[in-house]
Amino acid sequence: MDIDDILAEVDVDATPRETRDLQELTRAWVAERVAPEMMAWPGGLMERVLGRVGRQIELVEDQTGNMDPKTNFRLIVVQTEVERFKFLVRSFLRARLRKIDTHPLHILAKHTESDASHPLLSPAEYQYLTSHQALLAAHYGASFLSQFPNNLQRMDDTTGGISMVDKPDEDAAVLVRVLRDVGEVAVEGTDKKLDMKRGDVWVVRWSAVRGWVGSGDLEII
Amino acid sequence: MYGEIGNKLVQHAKRTQSLAHLPPYQTELVRAVTREVRDLDKDVATILEPFAGSFDPSTEPATACALLVNHLCMRRDKRCLLAYHRTRTDKLEEMCWSGIDVLERQQQLSQKGGGDGAGAQMGTDGAGSSLSPEEEEYVRQYSDLLASYKGQWTDIDLTGSLEPPKDLFIDVRVLKDAGEIQTEYGAITLTKNSQFFVRQGDVERLIQQGYLQRLS
Repeated sequence: MDIDDILAEVDVDATPRETRDLQELTRAWVAERVAPEMMAWPGGLMERVLGRVGRQIELVEDQTGNMDPKTNFRLIVVQTEVERFKFLVRSFLRARLRKIDTHPLHILAKHTESDASHPLLSPAEYQYLTSHQALLAAHYGASFLSQFPNNLQRMDDTTGGISMVDKPDEDAAVLVRVLRDVGEVAVEGTDKKLDMKRGDVWVVRWSAVRGWVGSGDLEII
Repeated sequence: MYGEIGNKLVQHAKRTQSLAHLPPYQTELVRAVTREVRDLDKDVATILEPFAGSFDPSTEPATACALLVNHLCMRRDKRCLLAYHRTRTDKLEEMCWSGIDVLERQQQLSQKGGGDGAGAQMGTDGAGSSLSPEEEEYVRQYSDLLASYKGQWTDIDLTGSLEPPKDLFIDVRVLKDAGEIQTEYGAITLTKNSQFFVRQGDVERLIQQGYLQRLS
C-alpha cells in the first residue's frame, strides 16, 4: 500500500455524504452524456438527491416573507444551489430519455437481461419505454404496417442478415480518468495493452473499459 | 416500381429534418409504397406457385434472383416508410417537449386557411392539416405519456431549460401581455414593453412560450 492509497481512503471517508452525492451525481451525469451505452439507474443516489431538493424547496417556502436581510441572503444561496441540482437531474434524465428513444429495443433487451437488484432503467423509465413503443407500433400499424404481408409486419426482424434493432456504437472513443489502479487493459481486436494507473487520462474504446466505469474504478470526463 | 417511390419518401423525410415546421403528410406516396409492397408480395406468390413449396434456388438461379430482388425491394420499402414516419414522429415529439401545442396550432392553421381562399391553396391542401389523422392521435397520446412521466418528477420540471443556470435572477422584457403572475415577492403585472428583474424559475415557462424575452 503506498501513500496515495492511504490518502484516497481518508479522502472518501472524510467527505460528508452530501458532497459525495453531488460528486456522484455529477459523475453519473457526465458519464450518461458521453458514454454510448445506457448506464445503470442510480436508484439510491437519485432518491437521496430528490429528497434533499424537496427539503430545500420546503425550507425556501417556509422562510419566504422573512425580511431579515441575513436569512434573505441565505435563501438566495439555497435557491441557487437548488436550481443547480435541478439542472443536473433534469439534464441527466433527459440524456437517458434521449438514449431510450434512440435505441429502444436494444435497451429493452438489455434491461430484461440486467440484474433485478441493479436494473438498467428505473420503473418510470421502463414504463415510458414500453408505452412509447406501444404508441409507435400502433401508429405505424395504423399508417401502413397493417396492410403489409404478415411476414413483414415485425419490428425486430433479424432475417436477411440485417437486424432491425439498432445498436449504439460500442466502439466509440471515450476519455477516461483512472481513479483506482486497474492494471493492464487489453483492447479487443488489437494487440494493445494499456497499463492504467491512478490519475492517468486515456482515450479508449468504450467497449474495452465499460466494466471499470461501472464499478467506479474509472470515470468518464 | 422497385423502391423508386420509397426513395421520394426518404427525400421528404430528409427535407423535414431541416425544416422548422412539419410539411403536409404525403398520404398519396405512403399509399403508393404500401401498394407496391403488396404487389411485390403477390408477385412472389405467383412466382413460387408452380413450385408448390419445393423450390430449390440452385437449380433455378434466374427465378431465385427475381425473388431476391422482390424481397429486397419489399424490405427497402418498409425501411423507407419506417424512416419517413419516424422522422415525423421525432419532430412531433420534439414539439411536445418544447411545449408547443401541435394540435392547437394545426387548428389555427386550418381555420386561417378556411378564412381566405388564397391561404388554403398555399401550403395546406384540402384537409387543412399537415398531420395525418393517425399522427394527430399519436401526438395526443404522446403528450399524455409525457405528462405522466413528467408528473413523477414534480420538483425538477423536466421540460425546463437545458442550459446550466448561472443567475438566480434575470432581466426580462415583456413582448406580449401576459397578465399577472405570482412570485414570492408579490404579484407582478406583465404588460407589453415593460422590463423586470425576476427569478428565472418563475418566468421560465413564459420565456419558452414567447411572452418574455431574456436580456443578457
